[in-house]
Amino acid sequence: MNADGHGGQGPGGKALGKLLTKNRYGAGPIDPNGKLRFAGVGYLNTQPILHGLLQGLGASRLLLELGRPSEVARRLFEDEADAALVPAAAIAMHGGLEIAPGIAVGARGPVRSVVLLSERPVEELDTLLLDSSSRTSVVLARLVAAHLRKGRALTVYSRTPAQILAETRGGTGAVLIGDDALAARGRFACELDLAEAWQAWTGLPFVFAVWGARRGVLDESVRALLSASLEAGLAARTEIGVSWAEAHGGLAAEHERYLRENLHYELDEAALAGLREFFARAAEAKLLPPCEVRLAGTDATTPAAGRHDSRGHDSRSLDALLDFAAEGGRLSFDEALRLAEDAPTLDLGLAADARRRALHPEGVVTYIVDRNVNYTNACTVACRFCAFYRPIGHGDVYVLSREELRAKIQEVVDAGGVQVLLQGGINPDLRLTWYEELFVWWKSEFPNVALHALSPEEIWGLARLETECGEPTTIDEVLRRLMAAGMDSLPGGGAEVLTDRVRRKIAKAKCTSAEWLECMRVAHRLGLHTTATMMYGTTDTAVDRLAHLFKVRDLQDETGGFTAFICWDYQHDQGVKQVAGDTGTVLYLRMQALARLVLDNVRNIQSSWVTQGPGVGQLALRYGANDLGSTMFEENVVSSAGTTFTMDAQQIERHARAAGFTVARRNMRYQWLTTPS
Amino acid sequence: MTTPRFAEIAAKVRAGERLSEDDGIALYLEPDLLAVGQLANEVRERLHGDRTYFNVNLRYEATNVCEASCRFCAFAKLEKGQPGAQTATHEAAWKELAEFPDERLSELHMVNGLDPNLAFEWYEELLRGWKKLRPSIHLKCFTAVEIHYFAQKFAMSHEQVLQRLMAAGLDTMPGGGAEIFHPEVRERISRDKADGDEYLAVHRAAHRLGMKTNCTMLYGHIETHAHRIDHLMRLRALQDETQGFQCFIPLAFHNMHNAMEQLPESTAVDDLRTISVSRLMLDNIPHVKAYWVSMTVETAQIGLRFGADDLDGTIVHETIYHSAGSTVPMGLTRHDLLRLIREAGRVPVERDSLYGVVEEYPRASAPEGSMKVKDRNAKKHLELAR
Repeated sequence: MNADGHGGQGPGGKALGKLLTKNRYGAGPIDPNGKLRFAGVGYLNTQPILHGLLQGLGASRLLLELGRPSEVARRLFEDEADAALVPAAAIAMHGGLEIAPGIAVGARGPVRSVVLLSERPVEELDTLLLDSSSRTSVVLARLVAAHLRKGRALTVYSRTPAQILAETRGGTGAVLIGDDALAARGRFACELDLAEAWQAWTGLPFVFAVWGARRGVLDESVRALLSASLEAGLAARTEIGVSWAEAHGGLAAEHERYLRENLHYELDEAALAGLREFFARAAEAKLLPPCEVRLAGTDATTPAAGRHDSRGHDSRSLDALLDFAAEGGRLSFDEALRLAEDAPTLDLGLAADARRRALHPEGVVTYIVDRNVNYTNACTVACRFCAFYRPIGHGDVYVLSREELRAKIQEVVDAGGVQVLLQGGINPDLRLTWYEELFVWWKSEFPNVALHALSPEEIWGLARLETECGEPTTIDEVLRRLMAAGMDSLPGGGAEVLTDRVRRKIAKAKCTSAEWLECMRVAHRLGLHTTATMMYGTTDTAVDRLAHLFKVRDLQDETGGFTAFICWDYQHDQGVKQVAGDTGTVLYLRMQALARLVLDNVRNIQSSWVTQGPGVGQLALRYGANDLGSTMFEENVVSSAGTTFTMDAQQIERHARAAGFTVARRNMRYQWLTTPS
Repeated sequence: MTTPRFAEIAAKVRAGERLSEDDGIALYLEPDLLAVGQLANEVRERLHGDRTYFNVNLRYEATNVCEASCRFCAFAKLEKGQPGAQTATHEAAWKELAEFPDERLSELHMVNGLDPNLAFEWYEELLRGWKKLRPSIHLKCFTAVEIHYFAQKFAMSHEQVLQRLMAAGLDTMPGGGAEIFHPEVRERISRDKADGDEYLAVHRAAHRLGMKTNCTMLYGHIETHAHRIDHLMRLRALQDETQGFQCFIPLAFHNMHNAMEQLPESTAVDDLRTISVSRLMLDNIPHVKAYWVSMTVETAQIGLRFGADDLDGTIVHETIYHSAGSTVPMGLTRHDLLRLIREAGRVPVERDSLYGVVEEYPRASAPEGSMKVKDRNAKKHLELAR
């Protein structure tokens, strides 16, 4: 998607020097030529805004890369872009951004490319299928639907466009976006143009996308460049239609008409009012964090904004932000980062403890009697932090036999256990049928021992292995077959930190962040419950760790399939020390408290006493956690790297009670199996 | 979610008013642990700001032969010749100091069993030898229980014992042996050594001779919250009288290899709360220590935000807690201590035994917990981004 060919050393170095200190991260641009890194959504509707830049305007000053909306937003969140043309929702989710004045992808009337399709009117629907790739359209659809239905709730599922088209009928409606929307026109009896519906409802235009940037990036000269780019684009709509038709098909005249008649590129007072209205209503519906619209180069923003502390954050005091979080307010990325950087640990703990109390007012701490079983240590992934795996062919490689497994499972049964967490390396000797047979055997021998089995890495590994062996298989098929064989749920391991710059550094061969999330998305859609984990403390920074939390929160918004979140820091006594980074007790308690505050949609937070020790594991119950995990008969992976904390059920219960809670045993769904006592 | 009772106590603390016995018990019962911690932290920051003390010290035990039969003790061997009973020779004790690698070692901290086989002169010579070897070394030796034992055994007053040991080189006294003062508890856990009044009498005598001392409390066994608060009140009363205590150190009971193995050990929340309550009750004792040997390194570090301003020191070779099942390291390096203090967002101050500053270290560039986005090396970052 990189459509940019600009090169050469530009004269921008001096001005950029200033940015080095102004930038949020104190780091400044990292492009080798010192250019600002711009990213933009490369769809037809953004072409007029990008046109001048794509023609070479400002090439000495900035580097432009194009991508899908989620990728463009990701770059901004993960500090790989200084400014980005992003969907409106990303502005609110990030928070703290300045918007380039005067420029927007907006509509005042029908937009044609964002539609709610159904056989019956929206008032008569019970279910809505959404293409979750566009958060802005999803939020718009939910707001408009709620308005038209006078608040009557709809069940909402996230689906791929192909699934949506196949499943939309009767009481089930669909929201389609972009080419899929245009292509589906005329196929359903009811078509609700969502921009038009918004205009009819609020009397205001709808703004789909704007340029957002961290403070100081959109200086006067950059703003002038962006305005000139749009000016050139508006003048070239005919050419854009022609070249788009050449590259992507469709009729040039149709494209041009779309750009001229359906889209409106001026962020004027009316459009600004529409954007503010959208943010306000989305925040009220708790679909987006509250967001003030702040235009670059002007202090006259919304009345409450305009003054910022020396770090460039909002003028809202840290205490006010902590109160907002403690009361369950949805944090933006910028706000979470501010808490991560500046909030005292005790204050984070108090806010997280308040959230824990609100979500679990009964004061019960749960734990599960289960054990980890690592069925094989053979692994081809070779993560640099791992001291457990052995390469294929190594003398210490093992695969547990049925007899060994039976003995281990029987110990769980004897201890009153309800589950085994089964995980292993990526072992190419073990085909999908091996797992199917194992699971069938397991369920025939131990029908009451739940199989919490195989992390996304292993699911992807199986899909690849089968495909390499000549039997093309998707993760969806792998998961369906394993479920049919008896798999009950999926552990959230192997997430490490879900940004690819970290994953590529510590685990080159591992699945990407997007693949990890996709596996969870598919698993949730199939009805599996899973957990989500984060192992930080290698090469990750606060930005990476928070990006991880936000990716989990986004997916949870979509699927609701995560039962719990667990984080811990890299244990490196015997691991590979050169990747050791931010670790320690204080950071652990901070991270866990932040997770409780950010993950407003994940019900349970597990304390990781196995890595932190019983003492800190207990304290974690006052820093947001409500669960003490598992009794852990054995643990092989983390302990290979040196940590050997163990507690039996009695010790777990004693620690929970001493911290002021009652205790109940649970299953993987966090249902109580015993009366709290 | 604090209680109205807590709000009253907080108001008193903020107004600089002294807390009552009843307030102390209420602080133990307050459900919101972090709120108690935060209140104690306010007092700690009022007194010391971010400064957090540690020293480079060496723990030494010359003999584990002991006449007392404290039920919580896994260190003492009751008789000479019993398996594991060990009494060092002077030469071995002196060698320990002579061979200590760190030139900045400021303190030797010795605590012993009540060994009936050693003459008083043996101790005097031991101290003289150390001072001769390294005149600058600060000798923090003998608990009040040992001093009282010497007084009885060698028919001297507390003052006489202390004066002779001071003449031999004793600088300060550690706070060990306090356990729980209240007779209801003390008679059941350590009946055959100095009682609470005698412990306090020894410290009073030391303070009158111009010596600074520390004080402790062994908690988490059979005592109640009321016993703990009573203990703190007695320490506070003596401090009002003498101002001789420098530092209070809560000591958590450990339950292995002693006569109270059936008792559960205290947990981290109790360890931290005890730090906080101590800080709030002992308004006249300057320092409260999070002794990492007793409460684990991790909990002690968190204690630096719950009222403690001191992490003790390098220790090097601790055996008393380790005999009772402690799994913490035997010692920490200066580097470890600096890291722990900085990670907690505090300013490390290497101190001597009288809280004189040996070196004040710069504050860490990152705040609490290293969460600050690090300054990035652009080139390195690019590699990652690819």
